[in-house]
Amino acid sequence: MKLDLFNTTAFRLSAGYTLLITLAVAATLVSAYKLTERLIDDEVDLIIDTELKSLEERYARSGVAGVTDEINLRIESWGRIGGVYMIADANFERIAGNLTSWPFDGMPGEAWPQFDITTIEPGRRAVHPVRAAVRALPGGDLLLVGTDISQGRRFAEKFRLATLWGIGLSALVAALAGFWFSYRLARRVDEVTRTCQRIMAGDLGSRLPLAGANDEFDSLASSVNRVLDRLQDQAGTLRATFDSTAHDLRAPLHRLRTRMDALLLHSPPLDPVVHDSIESALREVDQLQRTLGTLLQIALAESGAPLAAASAVDVGELAAELVELFEPVAGAHGVQLACEHEPKALVQGNRQLLAQLLTNLLENGLKYVPAGGRIDVAVRRLAGTVRLVVSDNGPGIAAEDRARAAQPFARFGSGKQEGSGLGLSLVAAIARLHRGRLELESNEPGLRVVVELPA
Amino acid sequence: MHLLLIEDDTEAARFLVKGLRESGYSVDHAADGREGLFRATEGQFDLVITDRMLPHIDGLAIIELMRRKGLSTPVLVLSALGGVDDRVRGLKAGGDDYLTKPFAFAELLARIEALLRRRSSAPQATRLKVEDLEFDLLARRVTRAGREVELTARELKLLEFLMRRAGQVVTRTMLLEGVWDLHFDPQSNLIDVHISRLRQAIDRGSDHPLIHTVRGSGYVLRSET
Repeated sequence: MKLDLFNTTAFRLSAGYTLLITLAVAATLVSAYKLTERLIDDEVDLIIDTELKSLEERYARSGVAGVTDEINLRIESWGRIGGVYMIADANFERIAGNLTSWPFDGMPGEAWPQFDITTIEPGRRAVHPVRAAVRALPGGDLLLVGTDISQGRRFAEKFRLATLWGIGLSALVAALAGFWFSYRLARRVDEVTRTCQRIMAGDLGSRLPLAGANDEFDSLASSVNRVLDRLQDQAGTLRATFDSTAHDLRAPLHRLRTRMDALLLHSPPLDPVVHDSIESALREVDQLQRTLGTLLQIALAESGAPLAAASAVDVGELAAELVELFEPVAGAHGVQLACEHEPKALVQGNRQLLAQLLTNLLENGLKYVPAGGRIDVAVRRLAGTVRLVVSDNGPGIAAEDRARAAQPFARFGSGKQEGSGLGLSLVAAIARLHRGRLELESNEPGLRVVVELPA
Repeated sequence: MHLLLIEDDTEAARFLVKGLRESGYSVDHAADGREGLFRATEGQFDLVITDRMLPHIDGLAIIELMRRKGLSTPVLVLSALGGVDDRVRGLKAGGDDYLTKPFAFAELLARIEALLRRRSSAPQATRLKVEDLEFDLLARRVTRAGREVELTARELKLLEFLMRRAGQVVTRTMLLEGVWDLHFDPQSNLIDVHISRLRQAIDRGSDHPLIHTVRGSGYVLRSET
């Protein structure tokens, strides 16, 4: 399985946090910007207000002429940089000041009107924004005091740019950090997933890696590793039990068989009747040993022990080989046996066990299909699986018996058949060992055995 | 031929030693792994037969130690463990053949003979010849008395297996393993039918058949003269 970073919880979480951080940074910077802009305006307003007050006092003392003098004085000598002054009559006609004409259309509506002035500086014309306030003097004249705010505007402009950069950069940093964080997290989870898959594939010795960070992942990993230790112990014990059972049952069988074999080699030769009965007893011993072997194999497969000696097996080719092996026997039974398979029907499995599976199915078919019948083996490649179908037109298995047909020692019908009754259970066990499944269906008429194995 | 049998089951060992001696072999017996290892590495044997589970030293360990010492003496492993991976493990450890208990004595004899002959045979031969039966291994062509015999690929493989062991008894399990690569015993008499087909093709119309059945054991391909 490939690591799909975008589809991880960690990635979604960090994407969410990146968005949240970006919004928070944006809110902070934007309000700082608004506040600063407000502060600059307030400072300008305070200056204008103070000047207006002092000019109004001057008007109260010495009238229009006094104010005109004062304005001219301020413009020419000690006026502050960027100061804009004007005194006009009630018809908005200029009396004095450094504006050529009344900048508004009548009286401005708002308390702090703004307008642009064009100045002629050496070599160029420049447009400056001006913030101003207007007072009506008691004599009907109008007094305007303003300030060139282009410097403040430039500052605000820079501040806005810095704000935008700040938001962008913090979003970028948060995204990168989130990506790195989620990548690291996803990789650790991915390591766990991979290890688990290896373990499921039979490598019970695999352990989850510890990062040495002593974090919650390490503690999870070491817990899982402890579970695996126990599982491995149990699998080992189970295996040892199987081995000693096999040994303890086979050894006496072996002694029995060796003794009987030695009798057959007896000289002078035994009486033919005795010889024959020893031979038939030997056949019984061999059948017993086969049943025992099959039972142990089923038990081992069902115990969840990992699949031994697995390699890529072409089920199609294997089926063709076995059909070829069985074909003469089938011919002798008067049963037609055919195989049809797609190329490269590969399964990760144990060739011997898969051959045993096919052998059991073919032997089963030959046992039940009467002369004149037929058995067909087909191997197909499907998405992610290989499907093996062995179908015949024999008597089949009644629908109510099919479910238990794969259970050990299940027998049906007249009961005259030979064999241990373990054939299909071993097929089911081998299929399960390969993480596949076995289905028994009606072939209408006959039996249709479907084995699906993951490719 | 001098054989060493390492087997802790004394009763089974007694019968095996007796049977092998009656079959013309000289046999030494070691009753546990330690003694077995000592005898196998010190003595001059043509073949070692060892049980897999032994007191003191495991049968597979004996083989590994023998191989590490540079001894190439063929080893036949006898085992009560019959799982598919047990066999693989036995051969991986350096064993030359693996027989699951219980086995027929005839099977053991046939395998001993095959292992002893294997050492002296020349596998690089390009032609096999038994009497008037000739097999050109490169052209995959078979002639009997100069007349070409039509055989399927599998029949050719079966015949090659028999001809390479001409004069030796070959059991049904040996054929299943060697020709079909199947390491278990199917219940049906599959091999007999294949042999009788091959016999039809090779021996039909000939007054001196080459493929013979050995009662209780298997088959042998040899000239009667």
